[in-house]
Amino acid sequence: MTEQTNTAKSPVLDVKDLGVNFWVNDEWWMAAEDLNYTVNAGEVLAIVGESGSGKSQSSMSLLGLLPSNGRATGSAKMGGTELIGMPPEKMQQIRGNEISVIFQEPMTALNPVYTAGFQIVETLRVHLDVGPTEAKERALELMRLVEIPDPEERFHSFPHQLSGGQRQRIMIAQALACQPKLLIADEPTTALDVTVQAEILKLMRELKSKLDAGIILITHDMGVVADMADRMIVMKAGRVVESGNAEEIFYNPQHPYTKQLLEAVPHLGTAIEGEAFGADPAGVEDSAVVHETEASHGTADDVTTGGNDGGAHPPKSTLSPMVTEGGTDRVSGLAEAAEAAGESKHAHDIEMDSTETYYHPGSQADFSKPSALQLRDAAIEYPAIGRKKAFRAAHHINLMIAPGEVVGLVGESGSGKTTIGRAALGLLPTVEGDMVVNGKSIKGLSNKAMRPLRKEVGIVFQDPGSSLNPRLPVGESIGEPLYLHEGMKGPALSKRVEELLTAVELPTSMRNRYPHELSGGQRQRIGIARALTLRPKLLIADEPTSALDVSVQAKVLDLFEGLQQEYGFACLFISHDLAVIERIASRIAVMRHGYLVEIGKSSQVVANPVHPYTQRLLSAVPVPDPREQRKRREARDAVLEATANA
Amino acid sequence: MSTNNDNQNALASDDVGDNAIEAKETEGLSQGKIVFRKFLRHKGAMISIGVFAFVALFAFSSVGFGPIPGWWIYNHTASGPIVNAGGAPTWSFSNFFSLGDHPFGQDEIGRDNFARVMKGTQISIIVMIIIGLVCLVIGTIVGAVAGYYRGWIDSLLMRITDGFIILPVIVIGSILGKMVGGANGPLLGLALGAILWTGLARLVRGDFMSLREREFVDSARVAGASDFRIMFKHMLPNAMGVIIVNTTLVMSQAIVLEAALSYLGFGIQAPGISLGQLISEYQTSFATRPWLFWWPGLFIIVIALCVNFIGDGLRDAFDPRMKTIPSWRKMKKAERMTQKEAK
Amino acid sequence: MTRFILRRLLSTALVLLVVTFVLYLLLNVALDFFWDLRSSTSPNIEALYESRRRLLDLDTPAIVRYFKWLAGVGGCVVGQCDFGIAWKSGQEVTSQLQGAIVNTVKLITASTIVAIVLGIAVGMVSAIRQYSGFDYFITFVSFLLYSLPVFWVAVLLKQYGAIEINNFINDPTLSSWVPIILVCIAMGLFWMGALGGSGKRRLITFLAATVITFATIYYILASGWLQHPSIGIVGIVVIGLGDAVVMTFLSTGLKNKRVLYASLTMAVIGALLYMPLQYLFYYQEMNWLWMLGLLIVTIGVAVGVGLAFRGPDPWDTVRTTFFTGLIIAVLIFADRVLQGWGDYSDQPAINNRPIATIGASTPNLEGDFWIANLDTFTHLLLPSIALILISFASYTRYTRGSMLEVMGQDYIRTARAKGLNERTVVMRHALRNALLPLASIIPVDIITMIGGAVITETIFGWNGMGKLFIDSMRQSELDPIMAYILITGLLAIIANLVADFLYAVLDPRIRVNA
Repeated sequence: MTEQTNTAKSPVLDVKDLGVNFWVNDEWWMAAEDLNYTVNAGEVLAIVGESGSGKSQSSMSLLGLLPSNGRATGSAKMGGTELIGMPPEKMQQIRGNEISVIFQEPMTALNPVYTAGFQIVETLRVHLDVGPTEAKERALELMRLVEIPDPEERFHSFPHQLSGGQRQRIMIAQALACQPKLLIADEPTTALDVTVQAEILKLMRELKSKLDAGIILITHDMGVVADMADRMIVMKAGRVVESGNAEEIFYNPQHPYTKQLLEAVPHLGTAIEGEAFGADPAGVEDSAVVHETEASHGTADDVTTGGNDGGAHPPKSTLSPMVTEGGTDRVSGLAEAAEAAGESKHAHDIEMDSTETYYHPGSQADFSKPSALQLRDAAIEYPAIGRKKAFRAAHHINLMIAPGEVVGLVGESGSGKTTIGRAALGLLPTVEGDMVVNGKSIKGLSNKAMRPLRKEVGIVFQDPGSSLNPRLPVGESIGEPLYLHEGMKGPALSKRVEELLTAVELPTSMRNRYPHELSGGQRQRIGIARALTLRPKLLIADEPTSALDVSVQAKVLDLFEGLQQEYGFACLFISHDLAVIERIASRIAVMRHGYLVEIGKSSQVVANPVHPYTQRLLSAVPVPDPREQRKRREARDAVLEATANA
Repeated sequence: MSTNNDNQNALASDDVGDNAIEAKETEGLSQGKIVFRKFLRHKGAMISIGVFAFVALFAFSSVGFGPIPGWWIYNHTASGPIVNAGGAPTWSFSNFFSLGDHPFGQDEIGRDNFARVMKGTQISIIVMIIIGLVCLVIGTIVGAVAGYYRGWIDSLLMRITDGFIILPVIVIGSILGKMVGGANGPLLGLALGAILWTGLARLVRGDFMSLREREFVDSARVAGASDFRIMFKHMLPNAMGVIIVNTTLVMSQAIVLEAALSYLGFGIQAPGISLGQLISEYQTSFATRPWLFWWPGLFIIVIALCVNFIGDGLRDAFDPRMKTIPSWRKMKKAERMTQKEAK
Repeated sequence: MTRFILRRLLSTALVLLVVTFVLYLLLNVALDFFWDLRSSTSPNIEALYESRRRLLDLDTPAIVRYFKWLAGVGGCVVGQCDFGIAWKSGQEVTSQLQGAIVNTVKLITASTIVAIVLGIAVGMVSAIRQYSGFDYFITFVSFLLYSLPVFWVAVLLKQYGAIEINNFINDPTLSSWVPIILVCIAMGLFWMGALGGSGKRRLITFLAATVITFATIYYILASGWLQHPSIGIVGIVVIGLGDAVVMTFLSTGLKNKRVLYASLTMAVIGALLYMPLQYLFYYQEMNWLWMLGLLIVTIGVAVGVGLAFRGPDPWDTVRTTFFTGLIIAVLIFADRVLQGWGDYSDQPAINNRPIATIGASTPNLEGDFWIANLDTFTHLLLPSIALILISFASYTRYTRGSMLEVMGQDYIRTARAKGLNERTVVMRHALRNALLPLASIIPVDIITMIGGAVITETIFGWNGMGKLFIDSMRQSELDPIMAYILITGLLAIIANLVADFLYAVLDPRIRVNA
């Protein structure tokens, strides 16, 4: 173990030979073993690993919060007190007081029938001898500390009345209530949107310096680790494979697994020459300032002077937004710069809540050309069910996908990105405008009328577990479209199924297995095979990799790219992960609150976003590189400041 | 490409760790086999199946069924000479153990109580099974259609089930029983089945509603499957758990309901015979000939209890959240062993 | 919320209307209106048929008759109820209904309350001790209760719960100690399983429970308590103090001394008021209005004591004193009722057989308010036990299932991670969430209970709605049956409404959204 950093600081927790076992089917099943680490005050120790690596269970064992069939062995000392095997009565005084936990799902981790304020007050009053009034004062103070707007009002809100980010802030406030010495954050941002994640991480970083507590950060996201961690442990299948200083591991990983893991993480900005938006604080400021200046002036020439008028930024940046943001090395020609400047004229005064689509040059929908998918000013609704009113999830969408083109659709939860995918399949009705799939309008078609058209469209769903019928062998699932559309049966069908399995790099013997017998990655391969059975011209991929571990995700994306080239289908690739989209798509469309706000070539959008929301989104994505992430962090603060006024 | 593949396999094997505990348990088995294995482990259900099979076998073989004669010498209608005083049961332990002529006793006109109880059990089991089948068919179809199509079809079907639920089953049962009851068991079974299906329909509806949101239903539709195929090929097998479990529970309710109606005089009536009818016929003789009252009651309880436990075992087996019941003693023992080894 | 409830109300009312229509037509087929004439050999049989036909208006088509009936019932809106007549007895249905409704509601309310309280408590403990011997035992018992035919149990209850006990009261000689010792050991095992804990603690619980049960039974037998049952001042003090401690434990935990002292004070006040109350009861003829007044005084005192002790959380204190006070008030009431036992038993109408098997009250009984109440209770005892046995099982199962589900939720883990003790986790965080789905079970169960009452009332001769229904069915009297269907349906609707309301009160997600 290499521990050069923070030797001056005192260790809060000292873990030796910690192991966790579960009693399953009359035998002990190892979930983690031989864990050794220390956590120092004021330091973040990240425990990284993919699902099933035992990272979460080992940390829960510190608090005696294992399920009833689990047991912990070894030792974990906190200031001389042994935590493993501590009687429950004593443990209760440690929990929430000296060690507290932030859980992953803010949705379910708060009790739905009590107010947010009550749940914080409760923690305070269990451990400290304070009256209700004082406890309330302190709770409000804590809520201010975690930057909850209107704490007095939110104090009386029930969890379902708060947004995901606010709930997680309440969780944090509750965890900090008794000023614990150790904070265990178990995937604290995994369930949150990327912009909210950035805010929560920022908050945690600020708190870390204020509180001087040790933090154990459990996560699978290398970007988050790069953003937060001082030291890190990499776990695989219950064992530590590498540990040490975070930066060292990032830049000089030793263990092959760590290397593989780091390679597998998609890195925003790698597909373009130079850096993605948000990598350079100066650039961000400039682009932000351009908004202000362009608002008052109108032409590219004016930008130069306008920039000077603004006065808050160096003149070199004011040539045009496109040039300044990526650095001068990316100016490919005067013409492009001029074009960019020209377009910025009508674009750069976009407000945050603007619902109009900004088209980067070359991305305007031209409906006269042949296309795999066209949305013409389309609006899509979730139909009314019973007393529930119809809900319009997408408005005025103009989007076109050329044959053989991959377009990425990105947005946060509730942005309506999945809605568009489902509507393209005829699973949701297009109520206004028109939806044209492979040259035929599908607006208003019944399930029956849709059926012949379905041959030409395939879909890969997000959750490979639920998109395959659990009661059918996977071979049957793959073959079903062939059976239904071409009436293929018997040996011909099995031959095709086997071909498809080979195409997705699975052994043909898997056709007789049931979905639950396959791993997540294997299931998603089956999902892809099924979507490609009829050689569709258009494929909708709805977050196909977001349920997978990063290394599996990397493999699936490789496979996907290979198949796309081989089969030549057009694809609408829906994801919340910009880095994945950037890697796979040639164009990117950004959605917010049901509107398409920006669309352009991947390089254009990633390096030169125009809509303030896209800028926020891009700057919020953490990259798996501590130094670069530090720069991006500063840049992000600048974006927030700028877009807050926009 | 081959290295890539190897890598993938290596990774795939450890992303089985994606809740490896579950993966370990289910490896290499189809869903049906898992359910079956879990069911086999449920002791209560296993014992109940044994007892129920024994009772049913006894009831059908002893007094015969239809044209097939049974091995018991008496039948349920013929009266004979009264052996013991008052017709008391003849079995005794005096000579190690002997059954005697009338082990369950005789009634006041000398009919053999064992034959009567066996015949009653037969009819009660038949009625129970008919009720179960009727519920299964109506409940599944109504629930599936309501849950799948939603909208006005759902509202209409659910209002209809409300109509059945608003009154106690025994009230509607009495009215229908008065119409079709008398000596005819199967007809009564059909009538009672027609009112007991509502609970099953509601549960199937709920299941179909949530299944409908599952992505595999969408993916079947995208593959070009018709509504009918989606409902019966894709969704129904996934709802089998709810259907089987609740049909079983309805059957346990059914046998008690049939007995209650027969007791009140709106179900099976003499000369027809069923367990409830026997109790009804002999209720006044409880003080003088308690055996006439005890035996049919005991058989109702045993059958209902068995069916209940079988239902419970099925529910546990089908419930995916339900992990195998850990054996605490073994766990503690193993813990002690490892601690000893450590020392 | 109001809109939602109104809509529900309207749609269920419509459903009920359709149900009455369908059943009216069915009943016209099912009932034989001439059953008593079929075997008649009377020479003027034709005329009898004819007059029956005219009496029941059978020449009018059934559909038209339904609407005539509906018009009569609709008169209730303007206070002109006409439910028709029961033709066999010639009575007006309206007059038959009056006593019947009250009796049925009495029976069902008493049984439901007891079943809910017991069912939830046992189900909760069973869930907390999942997979323990206690849990298996409760599971078995509830399945057994599910499988019991009510009518069978009722006959057994009559024999063993009434006849034999009455015999024993008159002739208290014990043939053998073995069953009593078995009962004591069973109680010991029960409490051991329910309270759980480490091996040593379980042993102590077992021994203590066995000894206490034995002592209680011994005292009851030796002192002739059964012949002259009473609680007395000593009983009030002992039970009151125990009640205070248990209530405090459940409500806030015994660590909270202030609340403990407050509830103990409540128990002491109850004991001090015992004698003055006896004078009041002696000199003043009591009635239910007085009782209500005394109950309000009790609540006032409880709230007062709670607020006087205040503490950091005055409402927690008030909650505890409130429940403590309520139980002590019930105790004093029960004590006074039991004081009339001797007089009651000696009355000729009772003839020293106090536990009743037939009817809802003893005819020709002389006595004051207390005696009348005692009479009601002795009559209520057996039928309500029969009803409780059945719905107790379903409440236990539901509570257990829902509790297990809740105990696996993330927020329970959060509560534990905060450092709350197990009592707070269960009572504050788990129980309330676990009770939410129960609100939707209660109306269903009440309807089942009404169904059970049909049988129980028939067997125990309890003059309620159920008995009215069965009697009318047997005599083919259409109008009382329709009245029964309508009123039971309305009761079901009301039960549903109450459940919706409860749900809204308990679940903030609904309260705020609608």
